[in-house]
Amino acid sequence: MFPETAQRLKAAAPLVSQTRLLKDLSRLYPHGGAFSLQSRRQISVSGCLSAKIQPPRKPREPVEIPGLEMVTYGERMHFVPGLAKPRYPRWERDYKDPRYYTAPPAQEMPLYKEKPCHVFNQRTSALEGVRQAAWLTKAKVIPGLPPHLLSLAENPENQIPDQDERVQNAIKHARFWDTTQERPRKEKYSNTLLLNLLHLCATLQSRNPAIGRRILAEDHSLAATWTRGDDLFQIRGRNGLLHTSMDPLPEVSGKDEVSQTADYVLETFYPVSPTIDLQQVNVYKEDVNCSGFTGDYPYPHAHTLYFLETTDSCKLRPEQFRAKMVMFTFGNALARAHKLYGTEPQQLLDRPVTVQAVGTNGRIFQFLVFQLNTTDLSGDDGIKNQLWLEDDVELYDFAKVRPLIKKKQVKVPAGLTGYKPEVFTKFLSLYLHGAA
Amino acid sequence: MAVSCLTRALRSLTLSQPALLSSQAVAQTKLGTQVSGTVAQCRGFLTTASLENNRTYWKEREKYTVRPIGMKKTGGRDYTGRIRTHGIGGGHKQKYRWIDFQRLRYEPNKEDKPFDEKVVEVRYDPCRSADIALVAGGNRKRWIIATEKMQAGDVIRTSAVIGRMAVAANEGDAYPLGALPVGTLVNNLEVQPGKGAEYIRAAGTSGILLRKVNGTAIVQLPSKQQIQVLETCMVTVGRVSNIDHNKRIIGKAGRNRWLGIRPSSGLWQRKGGWAGRKIKLLPPMKSYVNLPSISAN
Repeated sequence: MFPETAQRLKAAAPLVSQTRLLKDLSRLYPHGGAFSLQSRRQISVSGCLSAKIQPPRKPREPVEIPGLEMVTYGERMHFVPGLAKPRYPRWERDYKDPRYYTAPPAQEMPLYKEKPCHVFNQRTSALEGVRQAAWLTKAKVIPGLPPHLLSLAENPENQIPDQDERVQNAIKHARFWDTTQERPRKEKYSNTLLLNLLHLCATLQSRNPAIGRRILAEDHSLAATWTRGDDLFQIRGRNGLLHTSMDPLPEVSGKDEVSQTADYVLETFYPVSPTIDLQQVNVYKEDVNCSGFTGDYPYPHAHTLYFLETTDSCKLRPEQFRAKMVMFTFGNALARAHKLYGTEPQQLLDRPVTVQAVGTNGRIFQFLVFQLNTTDLSGDDGIKNQLWLEDDVELYDFAKVRPLIKKKQVKVPAGLTGYKPEVFTKFLSLYLHGAA
Repeated sequence: MAVSCLTRALRSLTLSQPALLSSQAVAQTKLGTQVSGTVAQCRGFLTTASLENNRTYWKEREKYTVRPIGMKKTGGRDYTGRIRTHGIGGGHKQKYRWIDFQRLRYEPNKEDKPFDEKVVEVRYDPCRSADIALVAGGNRKRWIIATEKMQAGDVIRTSAVIGRMAVAANEGDAYPLGALPVGTLVNNLEVQPGKGAEYIRAAGTSGILLRKVNGTAIVQLPSKQQIQVLETCMVTVGRVSNIDHNKRIIGKAGRNRWLGIRPSSGLWQRKGGWAGRKIKLLPPMKSYVNLPSISAN
């Protein structure tokens, strides 16, 4: 092959100087190897390194003339300069494959409606907090729990033996002992604390057998619909923990108090509209009322809801957390009322539906009692619902794993400090309401 | 076409001869092509992927949101990748809060009516010198540039009505220039009605409404230049927030680096005619109004 190569290279010589070629060749292959030297590799970089930057070129816009048909190179099956690029219709699969399903736009959905619906879900953070929730539920806010409720737990019969010590042990278990690491995380200890307190309350079943007619349920879906003025509202979501019972809760306030609420004027907050922060949807099912359980569930009446603070995506501020509590309590009450009395708005319910709620972040508790007196929520006047709210009560001050030391003095010792026993009595009274 | 270029380039790099043809045929036919192939300089080709950068995709969101948007820093580089502005780079990560500069933006169903908004919070914005305020009105919330004495809980008004009498405007309200009394301090000035505020947005700045001339208004900008705009351009009343911004002391080089300012070149240059204080007349008044020209024949 070599003499052939040399012949070829000599023929190429007129364009490249032969001596230089041979020199280069000898430089490239000094040990005169047996590789084939048929062609010399020629790699070069063209274009200078510091050119003027061209301004960004806008792509030419294709012109559409309605009557004229574009001559494309589609039929020729290859590019032809000068002809237009063919535009093909979008290919649709003729069978249904669930892996490649794209939802149609909202206007083409079967449940599409012109009138939007405002939906409150668990992620909603209401701007105005409890005031907005009270306007949406047409409720009068009464600060503090009803007094006859608190007297339930002060009755010595209804107290757990060694109550304070057992509650403190429950707190210590939740905050210190329930982990292999240094300290348990907030969502874990708040959950453990709530379950421990519920367990303590349930030990009174020997004295009050009515407690046995209740059951706990978790993560059931709630749906309720109502109109307020011109707008349609829905509440949808999955509750945290729900205590349901076979018997409904007794009403908290009497008939005359209920009729007095007709004089109360709901608080508005101009210029903010009460529908702010609610999700507006055009695709929804009308008149959906679901309490989360089927018709023949043995424990249909909602007793207490327990809310824990979620720490993952939607952290709610305390005011917004209380608003969420109010809305979901109302949702449960409304779903129950619609089941009992039908979906027609009723001015005054014969037996008002009462639902309770407790919200906590592991240390601070919010207590709520909601009484649904009316389902006629379209106007702003008439009988209102009632809402007793006690917010931001601390069960204990500090539960520190390591003591807080400032300037070599112990400010807060390690362990549980500042335990307040009255908070647990409130918890217990809400638990025993309806049973004792 | 690209494929033929590529194959041409690759062919010039081949080492081995095609062994299928006879050597003589190769010698004769391939000679010409080989000569051209070995000697012709083939244009170099890129072996990397396309050089589009995804630095500006975060800006292409269409729907307005109050949530802060993650930003990609450019480091002073433009779309080609070269530095276009020196001295930019690094610094603390920032999230962009989408400010609504068009103050007169009606809600979808409530056109053409003056509306109120409530200030929910006033907070620091890393992307500008002024503070920003979250205002809520009707069914929506938006960010705007806060004025000097704006606090959470205030109610601010936006109106497009130009009455015969000038309005006694409170700080933070937004009115067209034709509705304000002469001599008010204004900020967030629009030069074309409906375009959005482009002037007087920095911390502590304010313009002064000098006079109103049949259908136009003349405003003095913070640089003492005067401009003439239509009287329907919206403007907010008062000074922009964070008025002590120009009195702050950076203190150390590190703080400048935290702000994303890289050091300047350090090359000593003899100062020429560009340096030093200049005392010159104000430029003539710039008019953004297309007045019908009175042409003298």
